[in-house]
Amino acid sequence: MICVGIDAGSRAIKIIFMDADSRTVTAKGVMDQGVEQNRLATELFERLLKDSDTDREDISRIVATGYGRNIVSIADTTVTEITCHAVGVRHHMPEVMTVIDIGGQDSKIIRLDRNGKIRDFAMNDRCAAGTGRFLEVVAERLNVEFESLGELAAKSRNPAAISSMCVVFADTEIIGLLAGGKAGEDIIAGVQAAIAARIVAMAGRNVDLPVVFTGGVAMVPGMDAALQSAIGQQVTISADPQMTGAMGAAILASKQLNESMLSKQA
Amino acid sequence: MIETPRQITLGEWDLRYEQLLKAGLSEADYGGVLSRHVEDGDRRLLRLRYDNSPAALRLWNFLLTEEQRLHRARAEGKKIIGTMKDLGTVPVMAYSLDNVVAFYPDGAWWIPCVMELSAGLLEIADSLGFDESFCPVRAMLGAFVSGAHFPIPDTLICSVGATCDDFSVIAQRLNGLGYPIEWWEIPHRRPPEFDELVVKLPGGFSAPQCQVEFVKSELQRVKKVLEESAGQRLDEKRLSAGIKKANLVRGYLSELRRITFTSELSPLPALEMLIAEMLAIHFCSDQDDTIIILKELLDVVKTRVQEGKGFLNKDAARIFWVNPVADLQVMNLIEDCGGRICGTEYLFSHALDKIPVDIAPLEALARTALADPMAGSSSERAERIYRDACEFGSEAVLISRIPGASHCAMEGQIISKIIKNRLDIPVLEIEVPPLADSIAPGLCTRLEALVETVKERRKK
Repeated sequence: MICVGIDAGSRAIKIIFMDADSRTVTAKGVMDQGVEQNRLATELFERLLKDSDTDREDISRIVATGYGRNIVSIADTTVTEITCHAVGVRHHMPEVMTVIDIGGQDSKIIRLDRNGKIRDFAMNDRCAAGTGRFLEVVAERLNVEFESLGELAAKSRNPAAISSMCVVFADTEIIGLLAGGKAGEDIIAGVQAAIAARIVAMAGRNVDLPVVFTGGVAMVPGMDAALQSAIGQQVTISADPQMTGAMGAAILASKQLNESMLSKQA
Repeated sequence: MIETPRQITLGEWDLRYEQLLKAGLSEADYGGVLSRHVEDGDRRLLRLRYDNSPAALRLWNFLLTEEQRLHRARAEGKKIIGTMKDLGTVPVMAYSLDNVVAFYPDGAWWIPCVMELSAGLLEIADSLGFDESFCPVRAMLGAFVSGAHFPIPDTLICSVGATCDDFSVIAQRLNGLGYPIEWWEIPHRRPPEFDELVVKLPGGFSAPQCQVEFVKSELQRVKKVLEESAGQRLDEKRLSAGIKKANLVRGYLSELRRITFTSELSPLPALEMLIAEMLAIHFCSDQDDTIIILKELLDVVKTRVQEGKGFLNKDAARIFWVNPVADLQVMNLIEDCGGRICGTEYLFSHALDKIPVDIAPLEALARTALADPMAGSSSERAERIYRDACEFGSEAVLISRIPGASHCAMEGQIISKIIKNRLDIPVLEIEVPPLADSIAPGLCTRLEALVETVKERRKK
């Protein structure tokens, strides 16, 4: 039996097929998000069915998570990305106590207890500061590819000080820095530090170790170092960070399936 | 035997109203079909879901006809007192007088939500120098300038000192626009020093005797202003009777809260509970009807509990809500996400506590005013939230911020830290603007995640 986790994020759709018994991943895929989220999720799902030679009848349960979870029509149920990220990270690293997830539109700090249950969490508000969107704005303003941000930031010797926590104000600030002759790599490194500072502010002073960094922004080189510097503690990037939410959703799908089978047996 | 409790839309209420009329529904003079208020511009009503009891219908009609009630009071020659910022003390004094109606002009902060920004009040405030970086209470300026809502009060009384910065500056602007305000000061409540006499206040707080004396002297001034405005003496006998009546309101609310927050099934939705609790501040310009409405709601709630009827599932996450929301729809949203409200602190808990009756009335009111959660530190607020959350069996605390509002910039962190340390339950902060439609999906994610967290923590 195969269980499926679909993470319909604001920037990308991620899907994982998982064997319900062994909890091994049998297929996975990523597709850029668009306006028609449901169609795109279904398309990716069907492509994975084909690529992994899986019959639709073999799919026992589908859990959707992420920003667009409620419009994924093939899902049996939905679970929030907070729960899914916690479950997904713990699958790879059971001892984790703090999860930092930075996605395209939001960022979260999730605190776990020793048993892996969520103690509490914090999320950014309406403001996109501290999210991947901040980096996108910088890439657009500097006219560089998003994927090259990490490489460029690594060249910085004197990161710019970005005082604004608001993306809109920060954009204005970047224009000012550019006009003042500040190098692009210094501005990118400054923005990375500003995002990290925002996350730390959200976390307060209570960051229990170990800390795992997940979400699409964890794949941007240098962001882990920026977080590490801001927190003053070691930060480990989750295995396959972009897929963590989908992984958690797939695990929860398999748990739900097991519970349902047990209750039927009872 | 009563009808099964349900939350229904405005359209469903129209149908139900017809049925109730045929069945002999008895209504107050402000009664009628709820949807008529949409024609007056209250568009937000189309998006809400309501309790289906006749008592809830009366509550909503009462709330939505307050402006008409005030205009009628003016036409009848009654004195209209605007009691600003102080949430629950001066109205008690005003309603102790005959031919006086007190109301809460600051309540205009909900007009942008209820009218879905169509009233243009925020634009007027903007033109007067108060943009969206200020609390939505700035809508009050628009209501005064446009004159399109409530009649301009004969007397305006406003507390200053340990109050919100935003509110103070907005009220000062109002004063500058030619609406003279009688100010009275509420000091920051501080812990008594070792050599000071300690006075116990309602709500479990305490303050030094000198602070109580100071507030009493301020209220003495307010009393004179009220007497001059009303042309009557506000003697101890009248004041004691007024306190007794206010305590009746508080008693009903206390019982309503206890039953609603602690029963197995929620007997009254969060939205109606919010509106009911708000009545404690200002009685919606009619203290007598406030008492009748609360009694009716209490009867409904008691009957529902007796019959084992209510809303939501038994396993709904029990959430303590801190601060009122700018968008009423969010009270529906929390229930859609699987939560129920079990405990509230809407910044006026002193208006819910009984006013002492075993001491001189002005002294009693001074003590009550000093028990204002906003007059003390956020830590003291948190302690009270902790106590109430324990009493109501809350499983999580949700702190709802209002954009631009500055009750205390750090209150979220302070309350969160104390609750987590003392109670070890999750605490979530959200921000709710006057119209939250565009951020509703994000809000739902937070609320659903809180509910998931609570339910997961129940498992051993």
